[in-house]
Amino acid sequence: MTEITEQNKVSEKFVPKPSLPPPPNTTGAIGWLRYNLFDGFLSSCLTVLSLIAIGFMCVNFYEWAFAKAVLEAANRQECRITPTEFGTCWAGVKFWFTRFIYGRYTDTEIWRVNFAAIILILWMIPVWLPRVTAKLNIALSGVLIFPFLAGYMFLGGDRNWFMEIMVSVALGCFITVMIHSLLCLFTGAGISRWIIQLTGFSSRSERLHKFPVIMFAVIIFLLSLFLINDVAFKEMPNNLWGGLFLTLVISGIGIASALPAGILLALGRRSKMTVIRVLCVAFIELFRSVPLITILFMATTMFPLFLPEGFHINKLASAIVAVCLFAAAYMAEVVRGGLQAIPKGQYEAAEAVGLTYWQSMGFIVMPQALKYMIPNIVSNFMGLFKDTTLVSIIGLYDLLGMINAVSQDPSWIGLHHEPLFTAAVIFFIGCFAMSKYSQYLERNLGAGHGR
Amino acid sequence: MNTKTETENKQLQSVASDEVAISMSKVNKWFGNFHVLKDIDLSIYKGERIVICGPSGSGKSTLIRCINRLEEHQDGDISVNGVTLDSNLKNIHAIRSDVGMVFQSFNLFPHLTVLENCTLAPVWVRNMTKTEAQEIAMEYLTRVKIPEQAEKYPGQLSGGQQQRVAIARSLCMNPQIMLFDEPTSALDPEMISEVLDVMIELAETGMTMLVVSHEMGFARRVADRVIFMDYGEIVEQNTPEEFFANPKSDRTKLFLSQILSH
Ligand SMILES: Nc1ncnc2c1ncn2[C@@H]1O[C@H](COP(=O)(O)OP(=O)(O)OP(=O)(O)O)[C@@H](O)[C@H]1O
Ligand SMILES: [Mg+2]
Repeated sequence: MTEITEQNKVSEKFVPKPSLPPPPNTTGAIGWLRYNLFDGFLSSCLTVLSLIAIGFMCVNFYEWAFAKAVLEAANRQECRITPTEFGTCWAGVKFWFTRFIYGRYTDTEIWRVNFAAIILILWMIPVWLPRVTAKLNIALSGVLIFPFLAGYMFLGGDRNWFMEIMVSVALGCFITVMIHSLLCLFTGAGISRWIIQLTGFSSRSERLHKFPVIMFAVIIFLLSLFLINDVAFKEMPNNLWGGLFLTLVISGIGIASALPAGILLALGRRSKMTVIRVLCVAFIELFRSVPLITILFMATTMFPLFLPEGFHINKLASAIVAVCLFAAAYMAEVVRGGLQAIPKGQYEAAEAVGLTYWQSMGFIVMPQALKYMIPNIVSNFMGLFKDTTLVSIIGLYDLLGMINAVSQDPSWIGLHHEPLFTAAVIFFIGCFAMSKYSQYLERNLGAGHGR
Repeated sequence: MNTKTETENKQLQSVASDEVAISMSKVNKWFGNFHVLKDIDLSIYKGERIVICGPSGSGKSTLIRCINRLEEHQDGDISVNGVTLDSNLKNIHAIRSDVGMVFQSFNLFPHLTVLENCTLAPVWVRNMTKTEAQEIAMEYLTRVKIPEQAEKYPGQLSGGQQQRVAIARSLCMNPQIMLFDEPTSALDPEMISEVLDVMIELAETGMTMLVVSHEMGFARRVADRVIFMDYGEIVEQNTPEEFFANPKSDRTKLFLSQILSH
């Protein structure tokens, strides 16, 4: 007892030791090289061997891509560098490049495709701008409503009443999104706040605020209806669509529909209602267990056999449906995996405060689960983007289909490698961008949670 | 010193009325073949404060989770504020929005800020406007003494603070009954009292409370009735003075000696 009290009285003063610099050659460039590349005899040998191999490949690639390049030629025969040897015929890629991108779309109408692409880009840019509010609405409208506008711009021809309405709605949405984003950027307040203020509703009860906003929406809709009234595009039937454009249309629709459909299927698979659960399980297992190419063949060749006589079904449409169903089945399992990561307590807390099933899914469960799912979702999207090349087998002229077609053109016969290399670069750029974006998303979404 | 503890520990005045808030009669529940709740008969009056204790696995959580249908009972009747709990979704939602629940593991929504945690249900279930809901949320966050944390995410708070947010989140729905399932047993000792203080203040407002807890000091001070459960049955129920001073059943005696000895 006395000992303890004495010890407590004499307390030593603690002085931390000064920090010393690390031993030489463990940090910096030299340290990194030593540690990572030349750490012992075996490691050094492997490093040297790999360097030799990489150097060899680089030299070969340089010879193929640059030294033997032929940039100007009117046909494949002119790409010879010696009477017996062909050079690398970039001239062919140059000659066909527009076709690789747009397929057989008429040259004078190509601007329509570009224009739709620009609209989509403008529509989506606000989602990345920090000052813009209502990002979710903007993104959702872009995914759900833009396709109608794009569809008409690509296809052209006559509009029936449904397309008339949907195209106006889409145009109206686009105009609204643009005004909203500009207002957010320059004044810091979104469009609905401005409408409420300008109409003098800001002093009224919050419940009335929706009326001027609805009025504005109706006005914008009527305006768009009026704007498109005189606009009519030349009809471009979809067998003229092709190249990267077609690849993007198919994979874009597949990607946009896969996530919502996957979510519904995953929820259905977890449902307590037996009929729904069995149907969802059957759908998912069926489409996951059959190769995409089989589904594509069934959709385009077998399915029409079951249709009534004279009923024609468009090849592109059936291919798109097939891709969507396939993608949805895969996505459903990704979503189910994400849902399993959410603790039971979250569902219970959401139920206990009185939220309905859809509310608790939409506000509590999905936002959290989606964060865990991002890497898998993006992998799936990348897979889908590349898998759409299979439609070339059923006779659609997507990017790969165009490349095959070019190699059979009489004056360019045998032009294989250069276009394929070009396609590889295009796919790599697309997929790498997606992958980088998913990493960015993960980092950003994780940041807010503080855990 | 002595007098101070005495006033501190003074028992709250009972405000129980004779209007029934929750009534359970002959409630039975099974998990598979396992009989968790056996013939539970219980009436809880408006404004009454009840503490439920009992050994682990005795069915305490299951009992209170049946009250807001987080668990479904298979036999017997439960009615809350006169509404009978059956498979009718409308009734279930009505009861859930009138009955608040606080969990052992807080179960805050980690992707929403503290304020959003508190306003979500009032906006979507009670159809309040956002501003109304935020005002009410700030009021309750002030009552649980953490208004300054409103913009933070749950993961940035201590356990005690999270549990107080969870209490505020339930109160924002303006419930008539509050259920607490071991609200302090996931907390470090120094945080237990900050949560219990909030609960005592809540009890002073006359809230009907059903608390599963082993905090016997809290039970002595706040409870109108202490219920002891074992093997899915209500073994004994009594006022806290009687319950602690002369427990009737030998099972209760054993349990009390175990939890009071450490
Ligand atoms: N979902 C479930 N499925 C099967 N058995 C369960 C389930 N939930 C609880 N049980 C069992 O029911 C019994 C009662 O559980 P309950 O959670 O109600 O006990 P408790 O009294 O709250 O215990 P504790 O003090 O540990 O929280 C336990 O034996 C438990 O294993
Ligand atoms: Mg429990």
